Amino acid sequence: MKPSRFPFAKPTWPTAVPRPAPERHVGLDYDHDWSRRYPVRLARAIVLDNVTRPAARLVATTTVRGTEHLRHVTAPVIFAANHASHLDTPILLTSLPVRFRHRTVVAAAADYFFDRHWKAVLWSFSLAAIPIERARVNRRSADVASDLLGNGWNLVIFPEGGRSPDGWGQPFSPASAAYLSRRTGRPVVPVHLSGTRHVLPKSGEPRLPRRSPVSVLFGMPLSPDDGEDARKFSVRIERAVAVAADEASSDWWQARTRHAREETPSLRGPEASGWLRSWALDPRPEAGRDTWPRV
Amino acid sequence: MTPRPGLVLEVDRSTPPTLFWHGERFVLERLPEGSRIIYAPEPLAALEDPVAAIRHALLHPLDRDPLPSLLSPGMRLTICFDDVSLPLPPMQAPDVRQLVIEQVLDMAAEAGVDDVVLVAALALHRRMTEAELRHALGDRVYDAFAPHGLLTQHDAEDPGNLLHLGTTDKGEEVELNKRAATSDLLVYVNINLVAMDGGHKSVATGLASYRSLRHHHNPKTMVHSRSFMDAPASELHSSNWRMGRLIADSGVKIFQIETTLNTDTFPSQFGFLQRREWEWNLRDRATYVATAAALDRTPPRIARQIFHSIRAPHALVSVQAGEVEAVHALTTANVWKQQGVEVEGQTDILTMGLPYISPYNVNSIMNPILVACLGLGYFFNLYRGKPLVRKGGVVIMHHPTPWEFHPGHHPSYIDFFEEVLSDTTDPVEISKTYEESFATDPWYVHLYRTGHAYHGVHPFYMWYWCAHALDHLGRVIVVGGDPAAVRRMGFSPATSLDDALEIASDVVGRSPSLTHLHTPPLLLADVR
Amino acid sequence: MKALVFERNLPRFAASRLASTFGSGRGAAIGPLRLAETDPPALPGPGWTRVIPRLSGICGSDLATLDGRSSRYFEHIVSFPFVPGHEVVGELESGERVVLEPVLGCVARGIDPPCPACGRGMLGDCERIAFGHLAPGLQTGYCADTGGGWSHAGLVAHESQLHAVPDACSDEDAVMVEPVACATHAVCDANLEDTGTVAVLGAGTLGLSLVAALRALSSSGRIATPGALLVGARYPHQRRLATDLGATAALAPDQLTRAVRRRSGSLSVADPRPGRATGPLSGGADVVFDCVGSAGSIAQCLEMVRPRGRVVLVGMPGRVQVDLAPLWQREIRLAGAYAYGTETLRAGERVRTFDLAFEVVAAHGLGRLVSATYPIDRFEEAVQHAGAAGRRGAVKVAFDLRRANERRTGRASRPTTGGTP
Repeated sequence: MKPSRFPFAKPTWPTAVPRPAPERHVGLDYDHDWSRRYPVRLARAIVLDNVTRPAARLVATTTVRGTEHLRHVTAPVIFAANHASHLDTPILLTSLPVRFRHRTVVAAAADYFFDRHWKAVLWSFSLAAIPIERARVNRRSADVASDLLGNGWNLVIFPEGGRSPDGWGQPFSPASAAYLSRRTGRPVVPVHLSGTRHVLPKSGEPRLPRRSPVSVLFGMPLSPDDGEDARKFSVRIERAVAVAADEASSDWWQARTRHAREETPSLRGPEASGWLRSWALDPRPEAGRDTWPRV
Repeated sequence: MTPRPGLVLEVDRSTPPTLFWHGERFVLERLPEGSRIIYAPEPLAALEDPVAAIRHALLHPLDRDPLPSLLSPGMRLTICFDDVSLPLPPMQAPDVRQLVIEQVLDMAAEAGVDDVVLVAALALHRRMTEAELRHALGDRVYDAFAPHGLLTQHDAEDPGNLLHLGTTDKGEEVELNKRAATSDLLVYVNINLVAMDGGHKSVATGLASYRSLRHHHNPKTMVHSRSFMDAPASELHSSNWRMGRLIADSGVKIFQIETTLNTDTFPSQFGFLQRREWEWNLRDRATYVATAAALDRTPPRIARQIFHSIRAPHALVSVQAGEVEAVHALTTANVWKQQGVEVEGQTDILTMGLPYISPYNVNSIMNPILVACLGLGYFFNLYRGKPLVRKGGVVIMHHPTPWEFHPGHHPSYIDFFEEVLSDTTDPVEISKTYEESFATDPWYVHLYRTGHAYHGVHPFYMWYWCAHALDHLGRVIVVGGDPAAVRRMGFSPATSLDDALEIASDVVGRSPSLTHLHTPPLLLADVR
Repeated sequence: MKALVFERNLPRFAASRLASTFGSGRGAAIGPLRLAETDPPALPGPGWTRVIPRLSGICGSDLATLDGRSSRYFEHIVSFPFVPGHEVVGELESGERVVLEPVLGCVARGIDPPCPACGRGMLGDCERIAFGHLAPGLQTGYCADTGGGWSHAGLVAHESQLHAVPDACSDEDAVMVEPVACATHAVCDANLEDTGTVAVLGAGTLGLSLVAALRALSSSGRIATPGALLVGARYPHQRRLATDLGATAALAPDQLTRAVRRRSGSLSVADPRPGRATGPLSGGADVVFDCVGSAGSIAQCLEMVRPRGRVVLVGMPGRVQVDLAPLWQREIRLAGAYAYGTETLRAGERVRTFDLAFEVVAAHGLGRLVSATYPIDRFEEAVQHAGAAGRRGAVKVAFDLRRANERRTGRASRPTTGGTP
């Protein structure tokens, strides 16, 4: 008989014994507590500051504004941002002020980022990602998120549920940031990211990122009013992100006056089809080369 | 400084040597005393504000209502544009087509037109690559249309997208791209580089099928186009005009936008290519010497890449829009204004230096058939009145004529060169015996439709383009060309210009008159 | 008398193999072939006669043997030492000219009853070539007992191996009969169809003989007439000859696939390899004859033949590495064609291959393919010339033994056309 490599190799299972299904927790069941233990947090902080941040800055020259709004807000907070590209999360994380940066978890789609074990490990470690469902935060994810917020962890979440397919925003889901804020009582900081869709577009074929300017703008923190339900609060959050978008493309005063007159352009774009919606998008910014100073 | 008109120079002993293009190189040749050199007019001044000029043209068209009033929500709008064969060399960003189409689309967006499709009017040319489309249309237009599948390239072999519109009284079938022909408005964006382009030819040729094109892309029509740059004398023009009128009569509404560019063909570092030799300053001479020396040491493939990356500083000189014939009359006048040169009398020998680029090898290899087409098809026909060469005269072309073909862009050319030309070089024989099998070969159709290949019948058209010259001339000599390739085409190879003149003396005698065509930049000879 | 003798000598074998890497035929000077004084071979039995060679050709298989490149498969059907030379036109003692059919079948070997193949006249398929009263040897020219064509001493042949040469046939024509017979056998065996597309890769002696045989036999109606006959020939003189002999088109080998694509109206399934104009075809020729026998040529033949088509290896191959996936996927028939015997033609007619070969040679005057002849003293030059034949504008190189014969026997030989260059 051919010699077996057991016990040096894993044993083979005899046919007569029924074999239980292997337990493998991926997706929403993934246990991500380990990524918040001190040694892992330390390692992640080192990677985030010395690898992820320079790499992100390399492909996207980032302008960060509005951090003064964060000066007086108490952690933990919920950062609600628009979503256009996979680059959004690293850019946002590495643009947060330091006191938030290393104590933040990111809510990521379980079916995309946590479907394989190695992916779950990778994103939990590098971005402190936690798995949630896309459209609505279900009971278990909501519990997990609330617990984390209760324990002092900030949360980055994208209320759109996924990246924008055509460059315009999708409706903000009330079952995400708004619901969590009501449940835990933590404030929501609206954030607008612009320009990421030019660097790493959501498209079929993989392409090298194209260097392009990116802007991150923090708005004023919001808390739900008494008796305001999640739906109404979500609309307010979306409007706040729209104001931040307006401010990013023009300036603070124009944005505020337009907001007062309720003329802030919507994030969702014109009610038209196909090419008209794409035509109304802002064009790709001219690649500003690092030129020699004019003498 | 006003640009100077074209010049016909009499060569004497104090004339410096003349620059001849030689594919991806240049040489300086001394022409015999008494020769003439035809220099192109200097580039006209560009329009100061091209965007405003375009807008003005769209709002004040000729024989049509302003464009915004022709646009309404719920209509079918198709915007067609000239393909990668224009302009030559490709122009610096932003391309004229980008400027025009962006304006048209802004108007369409304001009017709320939903159903808009862009079609590259390639006829039987090759499909354009993404990079070429982005260059011609700009990123904004490309990103708004391509992801939705609304940017298409005319497929002349797609039976589901062709519409038979009828037959002219001369029996010419008119079959066009169905989407374009069934639109409420067809906007055509044209670049008129040479006098042959534009007018009814834009739609009748650019959006047609093989069944349509064979009625004027054949040896008989080409021999009777003397030249095809001169509309009244061109059978090609008449045929297209008949088809164009049939198209208009069958209800296709065309809003033609035609533009002309100045002949500012070379970037400033290659300015010496644009200037007359006796006006070369120290920098020009130094650049010439350095470039010529560098190119001698460069492998052909690299040299080709370098040259094909040149972007010309062509600038918009005129733009007119509206009804096809009214617009084209104005455009033709503008082209002549930029390119026309008066020349007295014909000559025995016509010499020309052929550059690295023709309309059919942009970003590609210039194979021997394209060399013949550029020299005997285009350059020979840059005249009005009488050909520059007398009947029975000689044309001497300067080009390395490498026996090299691009298998992706020109697959049918290889078979044409090996199989057809080794049998006969007579265009009429060729069209009778071989054209049908090449035009219907399923492999070429497949490569044309799904790859980036010219249609199977295209090499035939290249050969027919030479039909008038082949009929008119006594002999064709190629200097510096691959001898086997030159002989295959029925021409005579020579290693130097002197040898070529020696060979020519058999036909034109010992003391012939000689004219050199100093082009590019483009010119049109008005021969009296 | 002098003869070229090939002995089993391992060091010399290796040396010639090494030398042949610089070019076929270069190993002749240091290889196991040497000019020796030998006695004429003894007659093995009744029915055998002596033949004095007049012209003896140098064949591709001879070159492979001399280069040490021939397959080890042949070791057991060859007996050392032997005198090479199987393409022979010679004369009998009576002065009558004959052409040798070199295959040593059962009849020649005295085996009675003959094996089934020999019984049917298919000598090339004989199952007893290493047996009988002769030493092992597939042909005269590889057998220790028979002698061979590259000698003045002569060879011995069984009466069944001899074919009379008609008067109108010159010596040069006659020496071409054996290679033309190989080609004729390949053609008759190939199951051609009318108006099919036939491609021939390689236009040395075998390839050109193939073209000649195809044309001669199809115009006399004995085999089907191909619609197009396309020949891939590396050298210009080969292309000229191919066209003369009736090829529809003769092109460089890397253009052959493209021309076959056009004629057969097929498409291409993959990108062309660098240097080629077309990739492998989806359809292709009905029959492709490989007259080169290298890995590259076999791969190209598999690319150009249609599914369920036939690739015939006419030239002797050695050990080659070929990707057989296309063969399997497209159900291609890969067949060998060796030597000759008796052919069954279209109307059921049975003719000996050599008789057909005589017709083909006469129809095209193939004696003109003998480009150069040498005396056997200058065998190194002769073999080198034969090895570089294509490059040097030659087709067939042969040994001319007539002058020396004349001098020795003192009798004038028949005047012939052609001669040493």
